[in-house]
Amino acid sequence: MKKKIGVYVCHCGGNISDYVDVEKVRQAVENDEGVFLSKTTMFACADSNQKEMVDDIEKEKLDGVVVASCSPKLHLLTFRAVTERAGLNKYNYVHANIREQVSWAHSDNKPGATDKAIQIVKAAIAKVRHAESLEPIKVKATNAVAVIGAGVAGMRAAIELAEAGSEVFLIEREFFVGGRVAQWDDLCITEETGKELITRLYDEVMKHKHVTLFTGAEVVENTGSVGNFTMKVKITPRHFKLQCTEGSLQKAIDACPVEVPDEFNFNITTRKAIYHNYPSEYPQLPAIDMKNCTRCGECEKVCNNIDFSQKTEYLNLKTGAILLATGFDPYEPPKGEFGYGEIDNVVTFPQFKRIVHYCDDKLIYKGKEIKNIAYIYCVGSRQLDGENKYCSRYCCTANIHTAITVKKKYKGIHNFHFNRGIRTYGKAEVWYDESSRLGDIYLQSFEHAPPVIEKIGNQTIVKINDVLTTDKELEVVADLVVLVTGMVPRKDNAIGNLLKVPKGRDKFFNEIHMKLRPVETVIDGVTIAGASQGPKNIMESMNSSLAAATKSFSLVNAGELALEPTVAEVNKETCEWCGKCDEACPYNAFEKVEMDGKFIAKVNAAVCKGCGMCLPVCPANALDLIGLTDVDMESMIDALIPQV
Amino acid sequence: MAGGKVNSSSKILVFSTEKISDPAIDMAGLLKLHYPPTIYTISVPCSSSIKPRWILHAFEQGFDGVFIAADGTDCPYGESCTEKTGQIVNQTMEVMKEQGIDPARLKMAAICSVCSEPFVKHVKSFTEYLNKSEN
Amino acid sequence: MSAVETNKVLKFDVLVIGGGIAGGESALNLADVGYKVLLVEKELSIGGKMILLSKVFPTLDCAACITTPKVSEIARHPNITIFTGAETKKITKKGEHHFEAVVLQKPRYVHVDDCTGCQLCEEACPVSVPDQYQYDLVGRKAAYIPFSIASPRAAAIDIENCTLCGACERACPTQCIDFTQTEEELLIKVKSVIVATGFNLFDPLKIPRYGFGEYRNVITSMQMERQLAPTRPFNTILRPGDGKMPDNIAYVLCTGSRDKSVGNPICSQICCMYSIKQAQLLMGALPMADITIYYLHIRAFGKGFNEFYAQAQDMGVEFMKGKVGKITEKENGNLLLRYEDIEAGVVKEAEHDMVVLSVGVLPNLGISDVFDNERLEMDPFRFVAQSDMLASPAKTSIEGVFVSGTASGPMDIPDSILSGGAASVETTSYLRRARV
Ligand SMILES: Cc1cc2nc3c(=O)[nH]c(=O)nc-3n(C[C@H](O)[C@H](O)[C@H](O)COP(=O)(O)OP(=O)(O)OC[C@H]3O[C@@H](n4cnc5c(N)ncnc54)[C@H](O)[C@@H]3O)c2cc1C
Ligand SMILES: Cc1cc2nc3c(=O)[nH]c(=O)nc-3n(C[C@H](O)[C@H](O)[C@H](O)COP(=O)(O)OP(=O)(O)OC[C@H]3O[C@@H](n4cnc5c(N)ncnc54)[C@H](O)[C@@H]3O)c2cc1C
Ligand code: SF4
Ligand code: SF4
Repeated sequence: MKKKIGVYVCHCGGNISDYVDVEKVRQAVENDEGVFLSKTTMFACADSNQKEMVDDIEKEKLDGVVVASCSPKLHLLTFRAVTERAGLNKYNYVHANIREQVSWAHSDNKPGATDKAIQIVKAAIAKVRHAESLEPIKVKATNAVAVIGAGVAGMRAAIELAEAGSEVFLIEREFFVGGRVAQWDDLCITEETGKELITRLYDEVMKHKHVTLFTGAEVVENTGSVGNFTMKVKITPRHFKLQCTEGSLQKAIDACPVEVPDEFNFNITTRKAIYHNYPSEYPQLPAIDMKNCTRCGECEKVCNNIDFSQKTEYLNLKTGAILLATGFDPYEPPKGEFGYGEIDNVVTFPQFKRIVHYCDDKLIYKGKEIKNIAYIYCVGSRQLDGENKYCSRYCCTANIHTAITVKKKYKGIHNFHFNRGIRTYGKAEVWYDESSRLGDIYLQSFEHAPPVIEKIGNQTIVKINDVLTTDKELEVVADLVVLVTGMVPRKDNAIGNLLKVPKGRDKFFNEIHMKLRPVETVIDGVTIAGASQGPKNIMESMNSSLAAATKSFSLVNAGELALEPTVAEVNKETCEWCGKCDEACPYNAFEKVEMDGKFIAKVNAAVCKGCGMCLPVCPANALDLIGLTDVDMESMIDALIPQV
Repeated sequence: MAGGKVNSSSKILVFSTEKISDPAIDMAGLLKLHYPPTIYTISVPCSSSIKPRWILHAFEQGFDGVFIAADGTDCPYGESCTEKTGQIVNQTMEVMKEQGIDPARLKMAAICSVCSEPFVKHVKSFTEYLNKSEN
Repeated sequence: MSAVETNKVLKFDVLVIGGGIAGGESALNLADVGYKVLLVEKELSIGGKMILLSKVFPTLDCAACITTPKVSEIARHPNITIFTGAETKKITKKGEHHFEAVVLQKPRYVHVDDCTGCQLCEEACPVSVPDQYQYDLVGRKAAYIPFSIASPRAAAIDIENCTLCGACERACPTQCIDFTQTEEELLIKVKSVIVATGFNLFDPLKIPRYGFGEYRNVITSMQMERQLAPTRPFNTILRPGDGKMPDNIAYVLCTGSRDKSVGNPICSQICCMYSIKQAQLLMGALPMADITIYYLHIRAFGKGFNEFYAQAQDMGVEFMKGKVGKITEKENGNLLLRYEDIEAGVVKEAEHDMVVLSVGVLPNLGISDVFDNERLEMDPFRFVAQSDMLASPAKTSIEGVFVSGTASGPMDIPDSILSGGAASVETTSYLRRARV
């Protein structure tokens, strides 16, 4: 039992002390058993206070420390580090959350908040009284990273990880790399096209002997944990033997009788069951889409590189960290939203990008030349009734940029932008300005009155009550209506569930802390990058992927990881091996061993994750979590109830 | 409850989980979604690590209710969590019945890492239930 | 490096210029993988603008609570050396992985290691001048601690305003004040450089029709930020004119942004959001106050931003799509805003008792001149140009020199931190190439 506990109650510059009487809290605990010193502080986390704590611990030989401040998610590690610097084992530190769970949650009830804070600090003191020094468990970390998704974010991270010195497995579900950017021609910000950018990245990826690229590959199982993940990867064959020459490939494609909607072109065109997305696509080897292939064998007759005997393979990869860069899906409007799927000249922005790609000197859609284009913004974003409350960030800028490109590429184009307040943030403002100068018309709708699309005869008419012209009803006869659709999380996001990565309110993968740990997730060793974390343009995706690469690299680079020692522990006296713990453990951390003439359970500390699932199943109550024993728990519970 | 309560509301012990429900409860504070200050949390790694004896201990010590903010299907430790936590609750309720404690004083709901509003709703209505049932 | 008389040559792997959140993040990442970093900061404390903010959008975390631990981690890191109050005068690229920099360490007149931050010198000092860290809202002494969460939290003497009366010297219990300190020029050898010099705020004196500087109740958003911060100058929100608590506050967005007449055509990307944040905080601090935000477009584009905007609308913040033409002052210190109500299509006038100008983000000029023999290119808006914006956003026109944070354009904190991370990993790769 500890006798020299130091307690620090933080004002958090008013965040706590505006609602909790911190001095009263301090007084209420100063005479608790074992408390030697108690202080209040303006910012517990500030350098000066940290120094003071170090001094106190050293000078007064404190044996336990409690800081009552914000959520442990922010500063548990900070204060553990403080005790460590002062030469006190960091597990003699206990954190009390009196901000998120007290001052802010009960800002409507100051006396209640103060009372609750007192009990919470008392519970922390009760826990620290029993705390023991612990040493971290050291495990070897595999210096390899699995990067999932070979879009711009994934490829960029792979390159940098390999440069820094890690082995990289780049796993792409499609048969071709590049993700969404391969689908866009002109890109905003630079002159480079999507294809050029992808080619550049692909060349660099292939240059690196430390990057292994898998296409048609999907992670189907994942076991292990940070430092040592084992993933089972399913590799679907492309049914091609070698580098195929353009000539015989084209013959095979021509021979294939199956036509299916081409997803690469967002279904505005069709493709064969043998396909590549575009000539010179990477890897430069076509693939056969077995879901649609009828095995008629026509292609085999004209091309001898086809090999239907290739089988699905499974590989096991060992990695130390995982970087998720699985990107996004464009929002797919339901039938009828702004006439989509009902009126024939309503398309989405991604479809429009593909149409522009295919039209050289005249913009033609469904046989008709397009002059008047109406763009309807925020489709699928900023929804008032739907679930997508967020702004998709990229679309105003990318769309205006495309509208300018279209105007410059074809003659006689008139652009009408039906928007909800243009968000060309930052330097992108200059395109907004340029498009206005080029004569584009901007019409802004009221929040609750989106534009309406009607088909009258063979005319498609877009109507709006325009904010900018004092609510006048305006209408535009449009040859083409482009729905500027936002970004949504990937429909098939099974990988997220497999890795247990939590999702945010917007359903994209969620980081631990937007500012402190923006690319890490609650799953140790798994980082998130690019648009899988939320809408981003390319540059922003790159920044996040490089930041994620830094974090992954620093994990696996050292070759060794120090894991939390708070794992399960067996009481050798009371354990009578029944095997229930072994059944409950999701990690196979238990072993049956013989000891003093009986069989008991033994925990493999490097495997145990400290989840505690075994604790309640033991009939003999022979299991405890180190750091959260029955004594710890019960003394905390006791302390939470005010002693009268 | 013996002693009754003078204008204070029921005391509830919440078992939250470090990675899933704790962030939601923190966010409830951040968003200033108020709930009664007689709700205390102790966080555990996973809701299927809660020993029935801890729950019973809380009742013995004078807590009016125990709420398990379970990981549900988001549990980072495995799919079996929901089922296992359910078993713990059932098992504990059996004992509670034996000891003459209203089993409705133990409650469980899955609270995902952004489920701040559901959390607040749960603990508020639980408090109301307990306040009513004990007067 | 001929003309310079240097008394010391120091060697590091990386020189990081600017100790804001972006530079700090880059430095920490590099130090964590074992590189020796020199962080040069021109102010007396590291932490940049962020350490001075109140709470941060869109989560409303307290800025100090996020910044201070980062700052102290940087300050204590065994692989990071920090110079505060120091200026990088010249950088010469001698070859790949070989840069020489001349850094001018200005005297603080205080031995930082001995200063306990007791503030007795502040009390003793008879000189009072406007406090730059409180954006001139209040005064400070010539002997002063920059602000309470500064790192290092040590006194400094503002020699320009000091009368050399010696009162502080006498008051200091540890005798750490030393008027004999002089400027020191240091020669630094490094393998790579990160430019993280951040941004400047638009100076609203350049728009005389808003009356800033003339009408005391017209303040900048940074001044409001200070009033809302935990290390705030007053304990509440006050009109500087007469110390009255305001109850009808206006925000004028795009002040100095998206405005070619002041030479800045771009959007500053943060001011919509920080104004919405301040509005929410004000509603908490002054529950009775009305807040009107005059805007052209609301740029609530990032993760959680649109939801944050909706939250402000629900709380009752008034959003007026309107362009503010002119502000005039009434006798009682209230302000009349003439603005064009865009939805109604008419010019209107409204009275407020305090006006906050949401000033924009401008480039921090001057860093390009520091590079001696190779040119550090600037973009058309005079931010540091990114030579490969799409694939390597941290690269600049000089190989081995990387850019981190708002030095390359407007960014909020999450973006600055990501950019800081990107700069560090690109630097790591560059440094590794030196080894092979
Ligand atoms: C219409 C439109 C136009 C745009 N124009 C521009 C522009 O001009 N400029 C700009 O900067 N940005 C633009 N963007 C944004 C840009 O597309 C994104 O920033 C970028 O695609 C994000 O890259 P990413 O790598 O994160 O994701 P993605 O491009 O979506 O790539 C993700 C990759 O992961 C793979 N994947 C997914 N799930 C799995 C799995 N389970 N296993 C293995 N692999 C998986 C996918 O197949 C894909 O290859 C535009 C977006 C749209 C919709
Ligand atoms: C009023 C206001 C409110 C804001 N609120 C928010 C918010 O709520 N949420 C959010 O996400 N963002 C907010 N921001 C934006 C945020 O401040 C920036 O994103 C962030 O500070 C950028 O960090 P930085 O390191 O790039 O630049 P800076 O903070 O500007 O740091 C640059 C550092 O470099 C130093 N320096 C400059 N030149 C030199 C030189 N030549 N030699 C040495 N050192 C030098 C400077 O002194 C400074 O310390 C706000 C900004 C303002 C103005
Ligand atoms: S970026 Fe523009 S179009 Fe896209 S959701 Fe945001 S406001 Fe709407
Ligand atoms: S962020 Fe908002 S206030 Fe700032 S310049 Fe852009 S539009 Fe104007």
